[in-house]
Amino acid sequence: MADQAPAQPPAPSGGGFHGGPRSHSGGPGGGRPPREGGPGGGGPRKGKRQFFRKRKVCRFCVDKVDFIDYKKADMLNAFVQDRGKILPRRMTGTCSRHQRWLCEAIKRARNIALLSFASEL
Amino acid sequence: MEERLYDLIFICRPATPEEEITKLTHTLEQAVAEHHGKVEKLENWGTRRLAYRVAKNREGIYIYLQIKSTQGDMVKELERRLKVAEPVIKYQTVRLDEDVKLQKKLIARREKKAARRPRRPAAAPATQATPPAAPAEQPPAAS
Repeated sequence: MADQAPAQPPAPSGGGFHGGPRSHSGGPGGGRPPREGGPGGGGPRKGKRQFFRKRKVCRFCVDKVDFIDYKKADMLNAFVQDRGKILPRRMTGTCSRHQRWLCEAIKRARNIALLSFASEL
Repeated sequence: MEERLYDLIFICRPATPEEEITKLTHTLEQAVAEHHGKVEKLENWGTRRLAYRVAKNREGIYIYLQIKSTQGDMVKELERRLKVAEPVIKYQTVRLDEDVKLQKKLIARREKKAARRPRRPAAAPATQATPPAAPAEQPPAAS
């Protein structure tokens, strides 16, 4: 019988509800199209794909590599398409500094016939 | 003058006999010595498959030399000899001392940064110099 005022939910004090000003602005390195997740995450790295992979770490930064040797053709092969073209950074996740060094090493290796310039398909 | 570091790789035809290669490398070593240089490494990688056809060959014998020198025109002399040599089909000289310098700088910088970071105390910090003698009461939970 007692009047029961409808229980009011606790007034949001200092923005808890609608997650006010915090809005995801595309994460670090903004200006990229929203990630759609790789195809099952873990597809082969070579070849052209439309989706982005999950944001990868630069392999060289993790291993703290200071010098990319152009004589190691098998290591460089991982960064080259099957047609012989150099893979872009967004496919391999390399950072810009290491990508520059990598390109230089690949071009040197190509000159000495350790890697091909273009392979016929 | 600074000492320069060079990487010299050249490819010989696949059917070249061993003595010819040895003779060729001897000539190159002589040329290096004439220009006050020093051959640091000499490797024969053997017959390898080439990524593309060079002078109508699909395979070649790779020879790798690492040379230290103070004179830059030594490279010109070496390449001239390689150009004239019959079995050599391709050669490339790369100057590496700047890269090595940069590498050392990065390693040094990284070690300095690691040393500056506060390390976890391995042992309990013993700050007392001498144990308190006169006062009877001991410092509470000193160490």
